[in-house]
Amino acid sequence: MIEQRFKCPNCGEIASFYGDPGEQMVVSCAACNSKGRITIATDGQNNNYAIEVSHLKKVYGDLTAVNDISFSVKTGEIFAFLGPNGAGKTTTVEMIESIRQPTAGSIKLLGKDIKTQFNDVKEKIGILPQEFHSFERLTVRETLVYFSNLYKKKTDVDEIIQSLDLTSHKNMLYRNLSGGLKQRVGVAISLVNDPDIIFLDEPTTGLDPKARREVWGVIAGLHRKGKTVFLTTHYMEEAEYLADHIAVIFKGKIIAEGTLDDLIHNYGKSSVLHIKKCKNAADVIEMLKQEGYDEVSSEGNGDIAIKIDYKERVLEILSHLRHDCIEYESLDIRRSNLEEVFLRLTGSKLTEDKQ
Amino acid sequence: MDFIYSVKGWYRSRGGMFWSLAFPVILILLFGAIFSGVGSSKYTLYIQDQDQTEMSKGFNATLNATKLFNINIVKTNVNVTSFIKEKNIKSLIVIPKGFEQTIKNSFMNPSARVNLSFYFDPSEQTTTQVIRSVISSILQEMNKNFSQGRTIIGVSEISTITENFNFIDFFLPGMIGFTIMQGAIYGSIERNTKYRKDGILRKLLTTPITRTEWILAKMLFMMFLAALTTALITIIGILVFGMTVNITPLAIIILIATSFLFSGMGMLIGRFVKEEETADTAAGAISFPMMFLAGTFFPLEQMPQFLQTIAHILPLYYVNEGLRNSMIYMNQNEALINGGVVIVFAAVFFIAGVILTKWKED
Repeated sequence: MIEQRFKCPNCGEIASFYGDPGEQMVVSCAACNSKGRITIATDGQNNNYAIEVSHLKKVYGDLTAVNDISFSVKTGEIFAFLGPNGAGKTTTVEMIESIRQPTAGSIKLLGKDIKTQFNDVKEKIGILPQEFHSFERLTVRETLVYFSNLYKKKTDVDEIIQSLDLTSHKNMLYRNLSGGLKQRVGVAISLVNDPDIIFLDEPTTGLDPKARREVWGVIAGLHRKGKTVFLTTHYMEEAEYLADHIAVIFKGKIIAEGTLDDLIHNYGKSSVLHIKKCKNAADVIEMLKQEGYDEVSSEGNGDIAIKIDYKERVLEILSHLRHDCIEYESLDIRRSNLEEVFLRLTGSKLTEDKQ
Repeated sequence: MDFIYSVKGWYRSRGGMFWSLAFPVILILLFGAIFSGVGSSKYTLYIQDQDQTEMSKGFNATLNATKLFNINIVKTNVNVTSFIKEKNIKSLIVIPKGFEQTIKNSFMNPSARVNLSFYFDPSEQTTTQVIRSVISSILQEMNKNFSQGRTIIGVSEISTITENFNFIDFFLPGMIGFTIMQGAIYGSIERNTKYRKDGILRKLLTTPITRTEWILAKMLFMMFLAALTTALITIIGILVFGMTVNITPLAIIILIATSFLFSGMGMLIGRFVKEEETADTAAGAISFPMMFLAGTFFPLEQMPQFLQTIAHILPLYYVNEGLRNSMIYMNQNEALINGGVVIVFAAVFFIAGVILTKWKED
């Protein structure tokens, strides 16, 4: 008999079941009562989840920083933990990295419970702590050799330097590097043991847009190599650009989870057509409402916003405009983004500190 | 490996280099020049004339005629050994009874010979050297006159080995102890505040290296620094100030214990004062007064009684005393006691430091 954890596809609850390898069974979810068929994995390892977090909680005095969260990260995916500052992202990731002690809950990395077996997985994980700053007076290459020597598994440091495009900086002292390069070295350090899971805690915070894009390129490269990446960020563009799977955390709770499309579909508006600087805007709005478009609104200055449920509607609207010889300056269609999703879920903006 | 990178990082830090190498060199040269008593042109010399003859008085008169000495006569009934100890005498010559008689006999007896006794303080390099050369030239002259150069009158030199060493002897071990203290406290604070803030400790926590291994690697580096400091200061003491410095096994043990002691103290400071700059200030506030109160630069005897009492609870006091006793005064029994106290302090501070500090976050 082996233990295996499954996640309820309906409500997200994670539960343990016991069975022989390969055994199939019908089980019901303790939380939402829905039934489903599961198969116990044959290799004894926990199927294909790199990270499994169950009922994780962290309490500091009166403050509940992380409030009973559960989620799983599949092997090989980029999982983004998205939330504003102070939402509990770093507390969570540091509990997974065994840097902080959870108040309650369990965490498994590569199928091993970190409470008792963390030493077994140290060789297989690489982390970039938040606001990481390495030894100032070692060069890039020396820094990587230093950290590489802490592990049994040996990797080619020069290959990492090359793959992160650090070759021309490898003999520079760490302290003399720009912010973007420092973060790239930080990512490089997290790779020196060729880990299966890489944790990047706010890897682009404080970087300018160009440096941020460079780091994104590096992270996307890890994904192509089949690494599992756990990323925390408060930049929704970062999660949108990189993540296969996004969990939105707010005030210590996961308030939404899924792929980008799932989130936008479930929580965002559909697309919106904007007509800019339309003549006789009030008449046009009246006309569109009569045609059966419910969500039409004036945005001032002759601008009109119309909610689009499905793409054919765009053509219909355009033909109306043409038929009535309406003059306007420009048109654009905008898809909902995570910012809107977040706004809808919490009533507040995701990145208040954004420039 | 950690050791090599520690050395590299230290070598590239101008501040680190300055404080551990240049600063002690400057201080020792400066204080040494001020306090080593260069510039007094007359040397104090004590003479006990047990012979009380024409010949012995003539010898005294010759010495006096050089105008190099303030000559003090010691009564014949005084025991010179205890007299030297009591009065902190640096140089004393005893003219033995039968001095004149032996010289007179030498005309008939070619093997007749008499020795003056010269009690000297080995730490008083200049004085000893001057007296030695003056005596030897007077005696050479006398021998020439009495026996055409055959040696009748000789000198037996007796080192006084009292506690009367001069300032530089006092200062050098203090300088070594103080420099190692500074290096250990500030190094330890950097590791426990800056490295925490920069996420290096969090990073290390997720790598296979254990905290014990890492701390020991850092201690190896601290001992390398301690050895370098000691070697450098000692070499300067020997070459520039002509001192007799002994690197004894006991001194080495005290130096190692000192590294642990103040690394532990740095850990404790870093444990309670988390911000690096503030912790540095706290370290300064603790180490500088301790430096003066523990008799690093000035002998405790010169300080008021209550400060002397305070000194006896300061770990640096025992480091200073232990190093002085072992390296300079060659008083190994006393050094053993001081060393024992240092080791106890080291054990307490280091173990408390290791236990009370942690890499984990709350």
